[in-house]
Amino acid sequence: MEHTDNTEHTEHHEGHGISKKAIWRTFGILSFLTVVDFAIFFNMDGTMSRNMIFVALGIIKSYYIVGIFMHMNYEVKRLAGIILLPFGFILGLIAALLYEGDRWSVIKWFVE
Amino acid sequence: MSESVALNPNSAWTGGKSPFGVSYGKLMMWVFLLSDAFTFSSLLVTYGCNRYLSGGSEIKWPHPDQVFNHFPGIHGVDMLGPGSGLPLLFVSLMTFILIFSSVTMVLAVEAGSRKHRNDVAFYMFLTIIGGIAFLSCQAWEWTQFIQGSHEGSKFLVNGEKIYGANLFLNEYGPAAFAGLFFIVTGFHGFHVLSGVVLNVIIYVNVIKGTYDKRGHYEMIEKVGLYWHFVDLVWVFVFTFFYLI
Repeated sequence: MEHTDNTEHTEHHEGHGISKKAIWRTFGILSFLTVVDFAIFFNMDGTMSRNMIFVALGIIKSYYIVGIFMHMNYEVKRLAGIILLPFGFILGLIAALLYEGDRWSVIKWFVE
Repeated sequence: MSESVALNPNSAWTGGKSPFGVSYGKLMMWVFLLSDAFTFSSLLVTYGCNRYLSGGSEIKWPHPDQVFNHFPGIHGVDMLGPGSGLPLLFVSLMTFILIFSSVTMVLAVEAGSRKHRNDVAFYMFLTIIGGIAFLSCQAWEWTQFIQGSHEGSKFLVNGEKIYGANLFLNEYGPAAFAGLFFIVTGFHGFHVLSGVVLNVIIYVNVIKGTYDKRGHYEMIEKVGLYWHFVDLVWVFVFTFFYLI
């Protein structure tokens, strides 16, 4: 118990660098990106490219939420790696599974 | 041979140092969030596959902006042509509420780094209010969805029209449409609820001065990580269910 408390205390960094200005600026960026989402939704037809734009905007928003709000940009690179690298694999898996889903719909129609 | 090699006191092998530069609790919160990201990813993949699979069936997957076009208190206003309602307006409000509560959460963490108890309490309180507001909005959205519309379904099942929605049948489209809506937004809403509960517990602890006694406000950071994760998942749920 004593040791754990010590470790927690020594590991804890004292508020490295995130200022109130940076926080509100990020809020502005996230709100702006969400408005862009809606603008694209109402002004573009529903195609695969539009879907890709939405996913790309989501990834940009994730960068700001994970990097600044969740402090990842200020952490040791190893921590960022251990979280983001597995998730990179998951993204590949998602792409593969969605592609498979598209193929399954063809096979389903063919079988029926 | 009989010499002993003294350990370099700065070596990582002497213990007491985390290789990731954060405490055990914070590292485990990150790992938990990673695992939760896997769960939500699998749910969204299920959504994608079900939606693709329904491409060839008779009952078409509906367009989200034709289903989610209500706003509490505003009736009869059409944004894009007759009968269109106010598509996606309410869900955009929910998104802003959650983003704003994320901002107040970061401000609480920032106040914690300055060890400013009153500021931490104030921002945590705002975050809790934001969470409760989001849950209330989601409850209203579910009620609207379950009640259905006046006209009912555009298709017939066993010769009859369907009104409203449940886990088995819904008036909007294939059964999977409502089923996935409930499961995914419900699972996310459950995360928001547990986040609000955690935030209340931490808020009470802040007021009691537990973290002043402890000497650091790291618990605010940990619970903040969870809350930001909830916001991040909502960004993707909202993208997949309402935009795509």
